[in-house]
Amino acid sequence: MSGPSGDKLIYVDMNDQSVDIRDFPEQWKLLGGRGLSAKILLAECDPSCDPLGPDNVLVMAGGVLGGTAAPTSGRISIGGKSPLTGGIKEASSGGQPGQHLMKLGYRGIVVKGQPADAEKRYALEVTGDGVKVVAADDHKGKWNYALCEDLHGQYPATASFITCGPAGEARLTGASVATTDQDNRYPARHAGRGGLGAVMGSKGLKYVAVDPGKASVRQASDREAFGALCKSYTKGYLAGGQMFKTGTASIVPVANMLHTFPYKNRVEGQSPDAANLDGARIVESFESRGGMMHNCMTGCIVKCSNVVNDAKGEYKTSALEFETLTLLGATCAVASWEDVADMDRLCDEMGLDTIETGAAIAVLMDAGQMEWGDADAMRKLIAEIPEGTDRGNAVGNGAVATGKFTGHHRVPEAKGQAIPAWDPRPLKATGVSYCTSPMGADHTAGLIVNPGLAPDQFAWESQKVQIINTVCDSSGFCQFLQPNLDDIRAFYGALYGEEVSREAIHDQGWQVLEDEWEFNRQAGFTPADDKLADCMGQDAVGAEGAKVVFDVPAETIQAVFKRMPAQEELFTGRASG
Amino acid sequence: MPKVVIPPPYRGSTEGNTQVEVDGVNVAQCLEAVDQRYPGFFPLVVDDDGSVQRFVKLFVNGEQLDAGEELHTAISAEDEVEILAAIAGG
Repeated sequence: MSGPSGDKLIYVDMNDQSVDIRDFPEQWKLLGGRGLSAKILLAECDPSCDPLGPDNVLVMAGGVLGGTAAPTSGRISIGGKSPLTGGIKEASSGGQPGQHLMKLGYRGIVVKGQPADAEKRYALEVTGDGVKVVAADDHKGKWNYALCEDLHGQYPATASFITCGPAGEARLTGASVATTDQDNRYPARHAGRGGLGAVMGSKGLKYVAVDPGKASVRQASDREAFGALCKSYTKGYLAGGQMFKTGTASIVPVANMLHTFPYKNRVEGQSPDAANLDGARIVESFESRGGMMHNCMTGCIVKCSNVVNDAKGEYKTSALEFETLTLLGATCAVASWEDVADMDRLCDEMGLDTIETGAAIAVLMDAGQMEWGDADAMRKLIAEIPEGTDRGNAVGNGAVATGKFTGHHRVPEAKGQAIPAWDPRPLKATGVSYCTSPMGADHTAGLIVNPGLAPDQFAWESQKVQIINTVCDSSGFCQFLQPNLDDIRAFYGALYGEEVSREAIHDQGWQVLEDEWEFNRQAGFTPADDKLADCMGQDAVGAEGAKVVFDVPAETIQAVFKRMPAQEELFTGRASG
Repeated sequence: MPKVVIPPPYRGSTEGNTQVEVDGVNVAQCLEAVDQRYPGFFPLVVDDDGSVQRFVKLFVNGEQLDAGEELHTAISAEDEVEILAAIAGG
């Protein structure tokens, strides 16, 4: 294959803060993002290690198409052993750093070891002139926005950042990894799930600065063909429905109708406050407050990200998404999108996953330790999380930790990770994905919004979507672009000048899942772990007379682990997360 | 007869059926006909004010219908009405 060549991998040893630049293996050319992370972790990380100890490995990897002219292809995958689930984890984020790394020819960063002094903070600087670790003690404890404001003055305007907030520094297992937006300034994009911010914090790594300088776009083997493909794909997308033009928050009404807008720690599937939490209210606010829809990374054609301003017209947060409105909103019985916007900003400041944090607070409320819908108390609680209070630590460590802290029985989770908005009771095939995904309860691993699906299709649908999403998350494409496997292999083929067959792309997706499942097996997971919390089989939701629980039998769930013959829809079905 | 293609999120209301053949001379009539067979379907597509839900796009034979005009679009026996409903996490 021709195409981009001379790629490198950055290895960082935090034991002595040394850097080693290695050649990127030729045979891994079509491995990026999630797939690359899985390959490295299975080979180089002891699955039985303490996830917050020196033996865990933190991977940051752009997708195969990152840094090219392919639309919406610059996402970055953060990977490692999750301190939340105890298994392998990949969390994906938009923003600029993924593209910047790829433009510099770095397919990924692999961080190992741990500084002897846990109080020290370091930064990794990546530029066209080289890579080095520098001291960052001056930035210790900074909230993400203040940190990035300072870094914006410290580095060239072309630099983007990957940051660890105070929650990650405190090694709280609900901590996220932040990446800066299109203007390189706001740490508004997050690799949220699985507590990988705590892994970054455990390595003393406060931030990564990536300055591409004047690095150019990665060029394909056949520039003309690749350019034509980019153009035709973009044209086709823009001629379609563009369903996310007003943001994911705008789907609140349909989720509510489908009983997958969970209320009060998921005891109900609909919220009476859906109209106030609807993203339409956010879009309406643009007229008086000056917010807008934008793209979180250069070259994005989806533009699903909203910029939310406060009543004075000042920037508050971005993007306020469906999942956040559900978990910090409906699930906690909060009735106002503006209150959720405040909490979204606070979570971004701390470096906390909004899904895990909202789910944890809902458990706290369900246990009677906070009033339902008390947004003021929630704001205070989130702000106190990095201070190390007992309650703050519990919530910062996620829903399961909060369940233990309160002694409360109802903790909706799978493999230790809180269930996201999409509810596995009306959407049982999605529940199958939560049970079988190496990631635990993660909608981006395999979302199936099809309440009418026949039970004998659950296993195939889950396996199919998990393969599609795995390949998508390895490509650098955003799931909201909704590429299918035929699209992705066409881009790969044009990039490297060699056809990628359907069989090859199927193999690749399956192999990534196999690598991740194998990591989890070695970490101690067994089939007994492939389940949802008991409450999902006990608390029914749905319309009167048609309430449902999650009751998919174990044999259906276990069928996902056996590779099924490819059907046409494996290649034409779209990524869904 | 015209066919209405049901998007996955709405197949709970159609008992899993992926498409429904109906009588109707415009899009609104076709959707109402689906609702007669599967009560509760129509509000998933059309809101209380009689407008197409903002998270729904309607297509006929692969062509997206103009906003505001969708429900009045004439339909013939061979036509296929497709509904696209937004779903995403985020």
